Formats: sequence, C-alpha cells, structure tokens
Amino acid sequence: MSNQLVVQGSAFLLGDDVNTDLNCSNKYLPGKSVDDVAKYAFDQLSPGIASRIVSLGGGILVAGKHFGINSSREQATHVLHKMKVHAVVAQSFGRQFFRNAINNGLPVFECDTALIQEGQALALDLSSGTLHCDGYLIQKVPPLPAEILAILSMGGLLPFLKQYPDWKFA
Amino acid sequence: MGSTIVEKILARHAGRDVVQAGEVVVAEVDYAMVTDTRAVNTIKLIDSFGDQPLRFANKTSLVLDHYSPPPNQEAADIHSSMRAFATKRGTGLYDIGDGICHQVLPEGGHLTCGDLVVGTDTHSVTYGAFNAFGTGIEGTDVCAVMMSSQLWFRVPETVRIDLQGVLAPGVWAKDITLALLGKFGAEGLNYHAIEYVGDAVAAMAIDDRMTLCNHAAELGAKAAILEPDEKTFAWLKAHGAKTPQPTFADVDANYIGRYTIDVANLAPQLARKHEVDNIVGVDQIERQKIQFALIGTCTNGRLDDIRQAASILKGRKLASGVRMIVTPASRQIYLAALKEGLIEILTLAGASFESAGCGTCVGITNRLVPGNGDTVISTANRNFKGRLTNKNADIWLGSAATVAASALTGYITDPRTVEGGTWRFHA
Repeated sequence: MSNQLVVQGSAFLLGDDVNTDLNCSNKYLPGKSVDDVAKYAFDQLSPGIASRIVSLGGGILVAGKHFGINSSREQATHVLHKMKVHAVVAQSFGRQFFRNAINNGLPVFECDTALIQEGQALALDLSSGTLHCDGYLIQKVPPLPAEILAILSMGGLLPFLKQYPDWKFA
Repeated sequence: MGSTIVEKILARHAGRDVVQAGEVVVAEVDYAMVTDTRAVNTIKLIDSFGDQPLRFANKTSLVLDHYSPPPNQEAADIHSSMRAFATKRGTGLYDIGDGICHQVLPEGGHLTCGDLVVGTDTHSVTYGAFNAFGTGIEGTDVCAVMMSSQLWFRVPETVRIDLQGVLAPGVWAKDITLALLGKFGAEGLNYHAIEYVGDAVAAMAIDDRMTLCNHAAELGAKAAILEPDEKTFAWLKAHGAKTPQPTFADVDANYIGRYTIDVANLAPQLARKHEVDNIVGVDQIERQKIQFALIGTCTNGRLDDIRQAASILKGRKLASGVRMIVTPASRQIYLAALKEGLIEILTLAGASFESAGCGTCVGITNRLVPGNGDTVISTANRNFKGRLTNKNADIWLGSAATVAASALTGYITDPRTVEGGTWRFHA
C-alpha cells in the first residue's frame, strides 16, 4: 500500500452536522467553480479556515457527528482536495459523503474526536486503523476493508478501475 | 443467524452465500439511473474512459426530470448533451415531461423484486416498494457501474419497523412517514436499511407503498424495502418487468433495531416550516392561512394522490386567495388522470397542471416560486428555507388530501373534516 494511507497534518476543527452541500459546494452558488468554493468553504463555521489550511501547506479536518449529511455533492471532495485537506476525521459521516470521499481518494477516518484540539499534530494510518495526536496513540479502530484501502491507495475508484477493470486487485 | 432482505440481495449480487452488516462487498448492479442534475459530471467521467462500447448501456437510463422543462439555456444545453450521449452510447433516455426518475424506472419495467438498482438521487430508495434494493449514488459510482457493471457497497444494518393496524380513511403513507420523522428525527436512521412490515403495509396500494419507501430518504436511510405480495407481482407484470426474485427476511435475521408502531389511530401529520422533522398532527393546527398549494414530486405525485385531491375538490372552488399547481409524477400518470376526468375536476376547481417532473419540489424550473410571506402547503419531501427559491416563504408538508383540503378552505385543514376527504381507492 502506498503513502496515501498514511496522512499527517494539523487538526482543523469543525462541529457536528456539517452539511457539505451548504458549506463546500456550488449547489446554492451556481456558476462558482471548485477554485471559487475552495477559497470560502466552511467559512461560516470557522472563519478564515481555508486560508489557514493553505498557510500550513495542508491539514486534516476534524468533525463531530454526521460530517457531510444530506445529498452531499461529489464536488465537496474536489473542493477539499483543492483546499489541501489531506483527510477528514469525524465521529460519523453522512453516507453519501463517505462514498464520495473514498471514490475520490480522500482518506476518511471514523472515531471519537472529542479530545482533539485545534492545531494538534495528527498522524493517521488507515491500514492499521491508528490515530496519533501530538505523538501519542489516541485511537485504534478496526481498519477499513481491504477493497476500500485499495481504492484509496490508488487515489480513487476510477484510477482503481483503470488499473483493475474486473475489481480483482489482490 | 439468518439474513435481512438487503443482506440477501447484496449477497446474491456479490456471488456470496451470506454477507454481514458492516462488511464491504463488490456486487453486480442490475440497473443504473442518471438525472439531469448529475449528468454533466457523470458524462465527463465516462468519456474519460474513451469511446469503448458500454456493455451496461442497455441497463442505464438518463432522466431529464429536475429541469423539466428547462428554465434557462444552461439547463437546455445539459439536456442536449444527455440526448447526444444516449444516442451515441446506447443508453435509455426519458425526455422532459416523461416523468420523475423514480416513477419512470418502475413504470418502464426496468426493475423487479430482488434487484440491485442505483441512481444519482437520494430518493432512489423508492424502488424498495417493489422489493428491490435501491440506493442513491454519485457520478463516479455510475461511471464505475457503466465500466464494470459492479460497485462496492457497505452492507447496511437493518431496522425493522412493524406498522400495525390499518390506516383510517383520510390518513396515508405520507402521514406515517412524517410521524416517523417526528420520532427518529431527520437523518435519524442515517446509513441504515429499513424493512417495513405489518398490516398497514399489506393494506396499502402500490402508490402509497412507493411514498412509504421514498420518504425514508429524509430519515437518512440507505434503503427502505418491503416484502413483496400479490399486489407487487401484479403491478410489476402489468408494467413488463422481468421475472421477479422475491426476497424475504429470515425469521432469525439480525436487526440493529425493531420497532412496533400502531398506526390505526394515527391522525394526518404535517411537517411545519423549515424542518422536515418539525412534526405536528393536522388536528393540532388552528387558523393557519395558506396561499399556495402544491401536489406532485416523487413522494406524492401519483394517481392516488391526484384522486385524493379530486375527491375533495370535485364541484368546488379553491378558497379565495389560494392558487394550486399539480405536477403528475409521470406522463403515464397524467394520461391516467386525464382518462379518469381528474384533470377536468381539478382544473374547474381552479388548479393548474404543469409538466410531469420535479418542478414542485425544488423550484428550479422557476415557475413555482412563492411570493414573500407566502405559506406553501406541499406534498414534497423537503421544506428547507428557500427550497422553492424564496427564503421569505414558509413551506409545510402534508398528504395530497391535506393539501387539497387546505386549498379548499384557505387554512391548514384536516381532510377528515371535509366532504370527500376520507376517500380511499380499494384496488
């Protein structure tokens, strides 16, 4: 497995029930491109978050329950890539966002996030299901299934299928 | 340990004897659907694989329903690109006015009991009314299905909801689903599959069963599915579906939750403004004026919904100051309503009909915009602020009977209190 299953970065905190259609897509801003949305995504939830992530060269979003609830446009994952969000850690994900993230090669990690504070240094290892925070192991969860790890390590479902058209990767 | 309906369907399509909730499987898909809202992204992704023949094309339909008819040139151009893609690559296509995806797929005979169906819309759960696993996906997923006929699925945990008793006259599946939204909250069953069973389901006509499964999307469900019966088989046969693979839950299946709900005494329900889980009984609301009444959408635009409205408005007029628009869920429903004389009844009462499609739901056809300060009563499935493009209007949700009764009086009205409001068609 490649490096995409190991992710490091600073924690950027968001709360519960983050709706990516509202905060990270052009669903209600027709005509706005991914680049436009990436400059202001989540600004109402955490003012200036996009520029703060960029100033550190990237980061990891940390959220509570139901990150990406509702219909969750796939565009949200393109915006997150553009913002240099390297992974999303949340207590739980909206179903469609979880699919979209994996399909688009954005690592997602489901665990209790209550103890993580803004700016802490996170290190995720998806293949072992471990999360380190400021050097300490704070979470160990069952790793995602091998199929999902394979898709993530290829950078998404379509790159995966271009490599393995019959889904036989093992 | 036995299996639930969705576990059995996913196991069969993954070439496995048994699957467990929580695991990921790669499964063969039976049918895929793409709406106009997601078509640009989907077509771009499919084209990125080149011009190779699409072996799944004859199991795919593109549906021009959300922008039906198109409100602007941008939407019209999206439709043109969809028609060109369908012609070139050999997929099916339902054009503007043909109807809403979740209505035209079953009507077109594209799915049957035991099938695995995916569509680029959260209300794809509707297909569960026919004992099919239907779920919403995105453009990348459709592209993967077109290229490989397969897709990955996390097997959802199943919740079993036993709806005991039979609905009273004037009370419909819409009222059950609104009551469940009050109980569980919006997204309250996020990720789960729901199996609905019980006397109330057995007594429902197919139209109402489709409402029951459709509205589970607001509960966050990944699927909502019914066991099939003679009504299911007769409907599917009449619409030319292929041989069904009836799929039932095992008696020792494992559920993450079991609920028994007595619906015999349920009153008509309403979602009050702005939140789909802001639920109250219609009989608890006094003197709430309405100005705009809407019947339609994939939740409640079917023949029985139009019949409910016609039963109440036959030989009468809308209240002064009220306007009403009906959008049938499909051209077939429009024609059936025409033949039954329902369109004449409602037109004489003062209602207008618009093209079959999603127009009554999202306001993106730009023809159904409420004015500032208007209160809308609608059969739609969502009432977020601004859903019909005007943030200064309130949207309330109820059954077609409740909408028609309210349009008749000009106030939110319990359909059981007006003549014709307790009509029920017994198929």
